[in-house]
This record gives sequence, structure tokens and C-alpha cells, in this order.
Amino acid sequence: MAKTSFLNGPGIKDIVESLKRIRIALYLAWSDTKARYKRSVLGPLWLTLGTAVGVAGLGWLWSELLDVDRTTFIPSLTAGLIIWQILASSLTESAPTFVRQSNVIRNLKLPYFLHPLQLVLRQFINFAHNIVVFVVVAILLQVPVTKETLMVIPGIALLFLNLTWITLIIAIFGARFRDIEYLLASLVPLLFFVSPVLYRPSYLKISATIIWLNPLTHLIEVVRSPLLGVLPPWYVYAACIGMLVVGWAVTIAVFNTRCHRIAYWV
Amino acid sequence: MAKLEFRNVTVQYPIYSSRGMSLRNQLLRISTGGRIEAEAGKIQMVTALKDVSFCLNDGDSIGLIGHNGAGKTTLLRTMAGIYTPISGEVICQGSLATVFEIGAGMDAELSGYENIIRMGLLMGMTPEEAESKIPDIEEFTELGNFLQLPVRTYSSGMTMRLMFAMATSIQPEILLIDEMFGTGDSEFQHKAHDRMKSLISSSKIFVFASHSHQLLREYCQRIFLLEHGTLREVGHEALNV
Repeated sequence: MAKTSFLNGPGIKDIVESLKRIRIALYLAWSDTKARYKRSVLGPLWLTLGTAVGVAGLGWLWSELLDVDRTTFIPSLTAGLIIWQILASSLTESAPTFVRQSNVIRNLKLPYFLHPLQLVLRQFINFAHNIVVFVVVAILLQVPVTKETLMVIPGIALLFLNLTWITLIIAIFGARFRDIEYLLASLVPLLFFVSPVLYRPSYLKISATIIWLNPLTHLIEVVRSPLLGVLPPWYVYAACIGMLVVGWAVTIAVFNTRCHRIAYWV
Repeated sequence: MAKLEFRNVTVQYPIYSSRGMSLRNQLLRISTGGRIEAEAGKIQMVTALKDVSFCLNDGDSIGLIGHNGAGKTTLLRTMAGIYTPISGEVICQGSLATVFEIGAGMDAELSGYENIIRMGLLMGMTPEEAESKIPDIEEFTELGNFLQLPVRTYSSGMTMRLMFAMATSIQPEILLIDEMFGTGDSEFQHKAHDRMKSLISSSKIFVFASHSHQLLREYCQRIFLLEHGTLREVGHEALNV
């Protein structure tokens, strides 16, 4: 047998096979989204509506509490909440990905990465529903649309490509160590407060450098700043690209060695 | 031409207890410097298949027999490429389909029709191909309007009908079936039997694990006996009717 290297390891092959089936993953992600709202009248529109209600309530409450200008605060909060939802549900739902799909994994020969991929695509579908709320807020409060707004597209790409490796690596460890699911579930609410969701890093006078040490800050800002018509600082891109490269390298290394074990773990 | 070959295949299976699965115990192992390692770190390894070799070619139909826990399901899953052996080689050429557990890949909230598409995709069809199977499945399952209802409202017999129809709607070169008869009413049993027959005749390699010696006698030319993970071929006389 040929010596398996990093680039032709079983993990890489699995990822390639999964990407060939991206249509299946997309279809399943969409049918999962529909299944979740199966018996409701509004269906997946609840995603949009739920965000709208949250933004309206929190926007009013926090702008009163923090005594800040609503026209700048509410758009920033809306964008922050939308991105946070994606991050939080990725962190909490990733760990049981393989375990929940165990009856598929143990019965059909399918590439493993298909399942995390499906989860990420579902997050993207949610994001597409939620972003409507931001557009409405942006129109109502006249958020400036500049040429920097276009940077939203690479921003979203960086966010989701990073989420993909995060989802995969958490899913692998979550299948082996069942505690990870609960650990993350208890950490995520805490992360909400140490990540700049309600506030912007620039609001903090002294501890702004500390907030930039939180990797989630970069993932939030890389999308939020351009949404608000401002280019994020260069180090946001540096951090996102750095995380992307290092994250994928580590994930693939783990996946290469562990991918054959997953069927036994679930 | 289809081919399925095992060369000295050994499969070991880790059994993780709740202790082994937990991160806390892994951390304890580090922090206690291996003092309780003997207990906490012990992962039971079960050798499910031991040095199994065989070669199947076009036209082979194999019946798998053995006690509960002899390794029949593990062997089928290793054939399908779901389990990877720790040593030895599995060579598999040709399209492959599996019928293992009932309900695999179904989403109970979705309707029968939606599940047909869903399972079709999981089995490697395109959405169009999966859709083209619908008339055939409607006819075979006789579920009628129930196909519009969510699968969670089905009785186990109805779920079984849908599952079986779906699993047997493709024409693979290699077909692996784990024991799956026994549910469904007698009329359905009869229909399932006919469908199985035609499927077996169209597939090139067929492996069937069952406790029903009558079915094995009918479907299979060769019989493999699994005992504690070792495999040997036996004659039809090993089957009692």
C-alpha cells in the first residue's frame, strides 16, 4: 500500500467525494429546514420573523439601556445578531452531527463530510432568510451603501469557509467524546457576551485589544463592517485567512487519521 | 464485471462505555498520570472478523449464517466499505447497494413522497432519478394517499413497505441484504418475496444474511458460516429446513 500523505489521505478523498455530492447536501439541507417548520403556517419564514422580533425588542431595550444613537446602534445590532445566530448554532449543533446521522452512517456508504457540509449549508439557508431583516433595517435607517459594501461577499465566503472546518472538527471530536456537545452548549451563551454582538469593538476604550484576541470577533467583523458600509481593518482579513489556512490544515490532518474510525464511534 | 474480494481481513471494533466516551475520563487519565488508567482507559476491543478471505465473482449468491453476534452484520458492513478493517484488504468492484436497518435515512416529519426523494439521494440517485421511481413505489407499496402523510403517522408495517420498496428500487451489481423479513402482513411478504427474486437475478453478486434457512436455501447457492469471527464455507446440508 502506498504511503498516505497529507494530500492523498482518506480525509481529503472523503472531502472531494462529498463536494461531488454537494447537490444532495443542498437538497437535504433545504428539506431539513422545511421539515423543521413542517406544521407551521409561515414555515421557514419564522426564521426571518424570529430575527425581526429579536432585533426590534433587543434594539429598543439596549439602545435605551446603553443610551446610544438608534440609527447607528440598531443596524449594527441586527448584523451582529444575524451573524451570531450562525456562529452559535454552528458551535452547538456540530458536535452531535455524526451521532444524529448514525443510522445513515452505519447503513449506507457515503462520505462522512457530507453531514457537516449539510449542516453548514443549512446555516447558510438560515443566513439567507435572516439577512432580509438587515436589508429592511438598512433601508429604514438609511445605512450608507458604499463600494465597501461589496466586501460583504468575500466576508461571507471567509465566514462560511471557516465555519466549515470548525463544524467538521467539532463533529469528529463530538462523535468520539460525547461531553463536547454539552460543554459547547454551556460555553456558547458566555461567548455571546465576550464577543462583540451587542457592541462594536470600537465601543470599548481600554480593552479593545482583548476583544480582538477572540477569534469570533474577526469572523463577526469581516461580515458586519462591510454590511454597515465600512471596510474592516486589515488585521480582520489577516486573522480570517490565517484561521482558514491553519484551521483547515489541522482539521484535514485529524480527519485523515480519524475518518475510518467514525463509523465505529457513532 | 463485478468482484468482491477479502484478503485476510480482520476487523476490530472498539466498544466505548460511557466512561470511555467521556472527555472527563480522558482528562483524568492525564491528570492522574496513568494511575487509574488501567480502569478508565480500557476500551474493550472486540475482534468481530478474524483473518477472513474469500473471492466473489459474477453470479455468486451467498447466504450468511451464524449465531447472533457471530459477525454477520459486521461482515456485511465491511463488504459495503462502511467499516474499515485494521488489517487485510477489501477489493470491491461494481455498484453496490445495501439493505441493512429498516428506517435508515428516513425523516419521520417528511411525507412518504419526500422520503422517497431523500432516500434516493442518499442512495446516490439524482433528484430526477429518485422522482422517476415514484410510480413504481406507489404501485408496490399500495400506500395510496398515505404517501402524502408524514412517515411518523405510519405503522411499522407501512414504514417497512416503503423502506423495502425504496431499497429494492435500484439495480445494483452487488447487493447486500441483512435479515429484514418478518414484518409486514402475509400479502406483503409474498410481494416482497417476488421482488427479491427478480432483484437477485438481476444483480451479479448477492450476499444475504439470515436466520431463515428456508429463504437461504431458496436464494443462495453458496453458504458461508460465521463462528466467532471466523468464516468457512459449508454445504447446503448445513441448512435445516
